Amino acid sequence: MDNVLGLGIESTAHTFSCAVIEKNKKDGRILSDIRHIYRPADGQGIHPREASRHHVEHSSTVLSECIREAGITIHDIDIVSYAAGPGLGPCLRIGAIVARSLSSFYNIPIYPVNHAIGHIELGKLLTGATNPMVLLVSGGHTMLLAFLNYQWRVFGETLDITLGQLLDQFGRSMGFASPCGQNIEELARTSSNYVPLPYSVKGNDVSFSGLLSATKSVAARSKADACYSLQETAFAMTSEVVERALSFTQKRELMIVGGVAANRRLSEMLRDVCRRHGSKFFAVPLQYAGDCGSQICWTGLLESQVKPGVSLENTFVTQSWRLDSVRIDY
Amino acid sequence: MKLVKRGAEADLYKTRWQNSDAILKIRKTRKYRNPLLDSRIKRRRTIKESQMLCLVKSFGVSAPLVYFVNPKTASIIMQEIPGRPVHDLAEQKIIKLSKTIGELVGTLHKNGVMHGDLTTSNFILYRDTIFVLDFGLAQVSTKPEDHAVDLRLIKEILNSAHAKIMSSAWNNFLNGYRGVVGSTYHAKIIRLVSEIEGRGRYAQVV
Repeated sequence: MDNVLGLGIESTAHTFSCAVIEKNKKDGRILSDIRHIYRPADGQGIHPREASRHHVEHSSTVLSECIREAGITIHDIDIVSYAAGPGLGPCLRIGAIVARSLSSFYNIPIYPVNHAIGHIELGKLLTGATNPMVLLVSGGHTMLLAFLNYQWRVFGETLDITLGQLLDQFGRSMGFASPCGQNIEELARTSSNYVPLPYSVKGNDVSFSGLLSATKSVAARSKADACYSLQETAFAMTSEVVERALSFTQKRELMIVGGVAANRRLSEMLRDVCRRHGSKFFAVPLQYAGDCGSQICWTGLLESQVKPGVSLENTFVTQSWRLDSVRIDY
Repeated sequence: MKLVKRGAEADLYKTRWQNSDAILKIRKTRKYRNPLLDSRIKRRRTIKESQMLCLVKSFGVSAPLVYFVNPKTASIIMQEIPGRPVHDLAEQKIIKLSKTIGELVGTLHKNGVMHGDLTTSNFILYRDTIFVLDFGLAQVSTKPEDHAVDLRLIKEILNSAHAKIMSSAWNNFLNGYRGVVGSTYHAKIIRLVSEIEGRGRYAQVV
């Protein structure tokens, strides 16, 4: 069987998304990727129950639109995959329920997928990176990874909150709507006055919580200065650990994936890091940086090369599921 | 001057000092970094590193001699250690040396120094002696939490870069470490290491 058609369902946090990908050997073609995103009130974060309600309400329309846009029928689908973690429990369950229903009713093999691995695999598909050092930066992750011996290994990570949480929590404290990355980036561009903030690099790891508190007090004086200094400090810390890992591992490629990959200032800094180390820089296309069904779908398709689907009793969801515990055989 | 290594933080050049081979370590400006932040980081680390290189020798940890420091240009001229980084050695050798590395780290901690960047490339084997390098992130600290951060880092490095020999190297490291700091302190630090790991994102908290 050369052509495999997969359906992927993502529902780990604020996004409910379905995507259809056609896989032909190593190539994948995204036929459709439909999303509906839960928006909490300005200044507030994701409420897991409200988010899961949002997912329930929009699951059927997103699914049918996804199938229609792909120009297929549900009977054409060869495998269905869903994000089984890590994420918010109530939200994860919705995606899993949709996947299980399709799987049992239409008798389609089902694959649980690690959401973080999804970011990486889709990034590799879309950028063409072959053996990259991966910087995964999102609301749920801030990790520096390299593939070795069947597993993604963590070279560095945050010791407390993630880069996405740092930006969102700071943005919300100023009344922005989550996700706040873009608002902060725009406001930061209006300032060039750097206010010294705590810079916390511990070997290959970073810590952002002190920075968050300190930035909030700067914001009382000037919001623009606070945004500018926050970005400069947090991204410089991130770039430094990337430099450390590149120099330690001598990897020739760096790939950045996850929601914060959309930030242009961060990409600019990392590009400079790569130039210095003679590594190639790959950023996942903006449209696929954030959570989407494609990342789940593609990873499920890769899994299906080496494994049959799991039985329905084993279609779990796990809120805590570290990607460095997943064995990769494809 | 010949560029020897383009490090994460600094560039290393081969040079001469008086009549001996020396290394010039210079922290270059990062274009991507805000200039004010950049100069603060470079200056602080240059001073810290040169102080620490001297301090650790006072309790018997081998480290390069410091010949000259210039905080303005963020550069240090130091003795060249012509050995090989532990990172590049054969796996069996790394396992064996892990015990000595554990002892060295134990000695640092016992004397109130946190290294801050414990990777296998920061230990150099030269004529049966291991030299410790790269003290730019080091701190004078007797806090158990800081010492645990050190151990967690080297554990992370073993787990990622030396995955195949992780368990034997880590055991040897801990044996060496315990031999120096004593079993009570060792147990305390190990507890803190798992506490820090438990704080990690999506860690399985049992």
